Amino acid sequence: MSEVTPEEGRRLAEDARDRVRFEEDALALSDQVYRVARRLVSSREEAEDLMQETYARAFRSWRSFQPGTNLRAWLLRILTNLNIDRGRRAQRTPDSQPLEEGDYFLYNKLEESTRESNPDEERVVERLSQDDAVSALSAVPHDFRDAIVLVDIGDFSYQDAAQILDIPVGTVMSRLHRGRRILKRELADRAVGAE
Amino acid sequence: MRVEDPCAWCEEILQPYLDRELTDAERAEAEGHLDGCEYCRKRYRFEEALRRFVRQAADEVMAPELKQRLADLRTPLL
Repeated sequence: MSEVTPEEGRRLAEDARDRVRFEEDALALSDQVYRVARRLVSSREEAEDLMQETYARAFRSWRSFQPGTNLRAWLLRILTNLNIDRGRRAQRTPDSQPLEEGDYFLYNKLEESTRESNPDEERVVERLSQDDAVSALSAVPHDFRDAIVLVDIGDFSYQDAAQILDIPVGTVMSRLHRGRRILKRELADRAVGAE
Repeated sequence: MRVEDPCAWCEEILQPYLDRELTDAERAEAEGHLDGCEYCRKRYRFEEALRRFVRQAADEVMAPELKQRLADLRTPLL
């Protein structure tokens, strides 16, 4: 066995310290990462598996994280890549899907069903149930849902979402735009029934 | 100015408005319309309330067991 020189010893100690700090920082973000992960997949079990795979990979490749950059975005990049690797992207939205309605569609539908003249907007939102919101979100096709979950639930900027999903910012914007309209159509179907 | 159908234009820019992605000029134009149009104003407020609602509805807390399993993945200290 060769002796560890003081120089090497110091380097090893620094390395261990950086690694511990990285692991603590990553764990401190786990609640926030989970919140996003949970809505990227359809079940709690899938989200939990994905979280474990993500953290295992992150801890193995911690040296490739650049300190000072966005760690939460870095973790979610790993997570979305793992999600794609698992083949959960088989579902694609065909371009022939009927065009979603405009952005006022949901409000108009809900307002019609309140039987109240000129209701205020909080009363209109109350027409929706929590379960409807969750099931409507999971009915949005993956590519669109990923963008909505990262921006609307994960609070990421368009730029961060683009990096996480490895797509151009313009694509994030168009998926958000269309995805939110699809979401509203799904919400309307649940709240007032498909017509 | 989009005088032909300002409400249709306002509906088109609802999302970029709430995402703060409009130019200053576009935002000023939108706000000018919203000030005077209750129809659009209600729908804008609804959209804000809807986003908050979906965000709260979709929130699910991680199980403590998972948190522990993640902590166990840390590299053991020698």
